[in-house]
Parts: sequence; C-alpha cells; structure tokens
Amino acid sequence: MGKYRIFLFTVPAILVLGIFFVYPIALSLRLSFTDFTGVGIPKDVGWKNYERIFTRSRYLDALGVTLLFTLIVVTIQTALGLLFAALLHRLPAVRNLCRAALFMPAMMSFVIVGYVWQFIYSPFDGGLNALFASLGLGALQHNWIGDPHTALYALAFAHIWMFLGYTTAIFLAGYAAIPQEFDEAARLEGTSGWQRFRHIEIPLLAPSFTINIVLSTIGTLKTFELPFIMTRGGPDGATRTLSLHIIDSLFGKYKFGFASALSIVMLILVIVITLAQNRVLRAREERAR
Amino acid sequence: MSVGVSRRARLVRLLLSALALSLVAVILLPVAYMVMMSFKTGTEIVQDPLGLPGSFYLGNYANALSKMGYARSVLNSVGITLSVAVLVSFIGALAAYPLARRTNRLSRALVMLTALGLATPNFVTITPIYVIFRDIGLLDTYLGLVLAFTALNLPLAVFFYTGFIGSIPVDLDEAAKLDNCSDFQIFFHVIRPLLGPATATLSLFVMLMVWNDFTYPLLLLTDEDKFTVMISVYRFVGNHNLSPEDLFPAAVLGSLPLLLLFIVFQRRIVSGVTAGAVK
Repeated sequence: MGKYRIFLFTVPAILVLGIFFVYPIALSLRLSFTDFTGVGIPKDVGWKNYERIFTRSRYLDALGVTLLFTLIVVTIQTALGLLFAALLHRLPAVRNLCRAALFMPAMMSFVIVGYVWQFIYSPFDGGLNALFASLGLGALQHNWIGDPHTALYALAFAHIWMFLGYTTAIFLAGYAAIPQEFDEAARLEGTSGWQRFRHIEIPLLAPSFTINIVLSTIGTLKTFELPFIMTRGGPDGATRTLSLHIIDSLFGKYKFGFASALSIVMLILVIVITLAQNRVLRAREERAR
Repeated sequence: MSVGVSRRARLVRLLLSALALSLVAVILLPVAYMVMMSFKTGTEIVQDPLGLPGSFYLGNYANALSKMGYARSVLNSVGITLSVAVLVSFIGALAAYPLARRTNRLSRALVMLTALGLATPNFVTITPIYVIFRDIGLLDTYLGLVLAFTALNLPLAVFFYTGFIGSIPVDLDEAAKLDNCSDFQIFFHVIRPLLGPATATLSLFVMLMVWNDFTYPLLLLTDEDKFTVMISVYRFVGNHNLSPEDLFPAAVLGSLPLLLLFIVFQRRIVSGVTAGAVK
C-alpha cells in the first residue's frame, strides 16, 4: 500500500483528465450513435451517422480535403525546414537571429494570420497581386482564395509560413546532436557538401524527421481556423475540412450526435495515421544507426 | 593556395549569409506589411497598396481601440491565461513526480493517458464538453474556459515535468528520506524549488496556446464582457467585411503582447519548443 501512496499526487491530474478528457471521449462515442440535438433523451440511431459520413460526397470530400491539406503542408514544411536548417547550420554567425525571426509568425494567432493573409490574397488591393503588378508580373495576378483550384494551396501556404520556424528549429536541434567528428571525417575524405548532406546529415537527422512529421500531421489534420476565417470552407467546398464540419454541425444546428460521429472519425484518423508514421519513421531511425 | 581557398570559403559563407538573411526578410514581409498597413489611411491603401504610409496615422488605432473593447478583452485574456498557467503547472508538476520516480503498472497507464492526451485534437472532445458545460452551468463562465484549457494543456505539462524531474538526481530524494522526510515534504522542499526553469518554459507555452486559441472561447462564450482578445478581433474584423482600416490595427493589437513577450524571452521559447519536442 505504501508503494502506491505517492500516487495520491496524481489525483488532481486524474480528476481533471477524467472529467474533461476521458469522460468526454466516452460521451462522444455514445452520442455518435444517437441523433441527440441537445434536448430530451438521445435516441439511438445505430450506425446512421457514420453511414452518412461515408456515403455522402459532402463528407467524403471533406475527408479528402483534410488529407490533401495535411499532405501538402507536411511535405513542403518538412522539406523547407530541412533546407533552412541545413543552410543555417553552416552559418553560425546568423543562425540564432534567423531562427528567432523565422519563429515569429508562430507567435501569432490563427485568427490574425488568417485575416492578414486573406487580405494579402484579396483580388483587388491585396498585397500579393499589388506586388506582382509592381514587379511587372501582372499576368500572375489571381483570385487566390476565390478560385477552387488554388484556394487550398493558398491556405496551405499561409499555414506553412506560420510554422516553418518550428520545423527549422527542431531540425537545427537535430543538427546540434550530430557529433562533429562525423563531419570532419567526411571532410577529410574529400566529400562534397551535397554528399555530406545526402549521406550523413539526412540519415542522422532521422529522429528530427519523426518528430517534425508526426507533430505537423497532428497539427494539420485538425485544421479549422484558417478555412473558417479565410474562406468558410469555400469556394465550392474546396477548403471545407473535417473540423469545419464539426463546428458547423454545432453552431445553430445543434446536431450533437452527428458532430460526435465526425469527431470520432477524426480521432481514428489521427491515431491510425500517426501510429503508421511512427512505425515507418522509427524503423528508418533504426536503419540509420 | 591555402590562403586562396580559405578566402574563397569565406566569400561563399558571406554570400550564403546574405542569402539566408534575405530569405528570412522575405518571410517576415507579411508581418512588416501588417504593421505598415495599420498606419495607412483608407485613401493611401487604395491608391498605393504597397507604399509606406505618408505619416504615422493613428486614426485606425483610435477607432479599433474604441470599438473592439480591447482593454476589457486583454484583461479577460490575461486573467484566463494566468489562471491556466498556474493550474497547469501545479497539477502537472504534482502528477509528474511519482511518474518520474516510480515504474509500475499504474505509472505506465498514466503515461499512456498523457500520450493519448497529447495526440488528441480538441475537436474530438469539443462537442461533449459543450454538452457537459451546458448541463452543469459552466457555459459562458470564466471557470469553464479555464478548466477546459487546463485539461487541454495538462498532458503536455505532465510530459514536460516528468522529463525534467527525471533528470534531477534521485540521491537528493534519498538524502531527504534519510532525514525522515515524507514524499510530500520531499516534493515541496527538495523537488519543487528546482522546477523554476521548467515552469517558466511551460508557462510561456501555455500562454502562447491560451492567448491565441480561438475555438474554445468561440464555442463556450457568448457574453461580450467575457470575450478574449482573439474573439474580439474576430468579431470586430468579421463584422466589418474585412475593411483594411479595421483589420490591420486589430491584428497588430492582438499580436503585440505575445510579440513583445517573444522578443524578451525569444531564446527560452525557441529552445523550450525544441526541447519539449525532442524529448
């Protein structure tokens, strides 16, 4: 008994997580099989909510949009972060300044980033089109978030802009953990910078890849604020993500049962994808050793 | 020959530095654009969308300050943010102590719960939390919002403190135990005083998250007097059809407190984020 006494320390945390995390997930699971609208007793509807999600194109499209958005953001953000880290790693004089500056956008709220970029993209006096005009590139002017073909990419660009500093900082921490001897030994053998990057640095950065990819995947699969602020899911559903549907089902509609089913789908999506990533990326780390 | 090579290497490095600095400058352009636009008059914005403002025109700020209820919402955000930071670090550190010092079935289960909490998006719990809060009268209250944020940030705190306490030598505990200290006494007199740096980093994290969050207050608050800064920005800008004279000063006012915090604690924030992620 004495062995477990110290675990009394965990009681407040267990209470908070129990009431506001574990119980809600259980409640969500239960509500997802009902047509609960907030009043009266929830009526059981079986798998109807889930059937709806997986048969209506509206929700399948949202699933596709969410996955595509995640794929774009995770790939480009990881690649750019790696490039910046590789560059800054070689430049100790400007490293800290650049790392801090790149980090600045991550201090801003999605709400503010959303509004500022919405204006930057706006077709008339928006900053991006004005910039193209002043550079004599008027042909590149475009209604970036008004066109269903470019809207999701425009949002992804703003998202990457926000978190590039995060990814870069994590890769830089990975670089700092690479023993200096490796680099020196490779140099003595007369390898080029590119060879060192490709065959020494990339394999040794495997743990940083894992962290970056998993973290940004978790962060992007739940994307809500940017489409909510910038496009409301439009044009033509091109930016309608899963989480936007969850909020839409709550606001004014009070479809708690359906919203719960959507959020359970999201939970399963997050768990399956991050577990799979973890498996693949950890195996890669092992091989790099 | 060797002099020539090192001079060439230095030149390359100089050019690369210039390249890095200019890339970073380009990336920061939207921030500069936001600040610049906030000082421009409506006519300047239309006639010269990229130019510098003719003068530091403060009319937009005066208008935004009076209409968005800035002072009130800053007070709300500061109060909520600080309450969450205090609760999260206290409850988190307390729970982390046994997890860092004991390995058994219970501690493994709790670590699992923490990991699940870290990975679960708040959209998964937002519907039931709304229902629960409505049923127990926590909707539209400061307490409700504080509790929701505390639960959201607690897994990170437990995770963070467990790593930190794990790096404190157990000898300290053992020595105190020889002096007949109870576990509680050891935690409060030996461990707690050493947690300062971890608490500082964690608090910055929590502040960043709570100040900037939009989803919880959007869903849980309806009373204008309780609005956080981000909800005020959203209401103010959203209600005016994205007029730049409203948007940019509101954006600057909304980000300013955290940007100032970042300038002061830049090193701690960046290294804290990476340390937290790498562990």
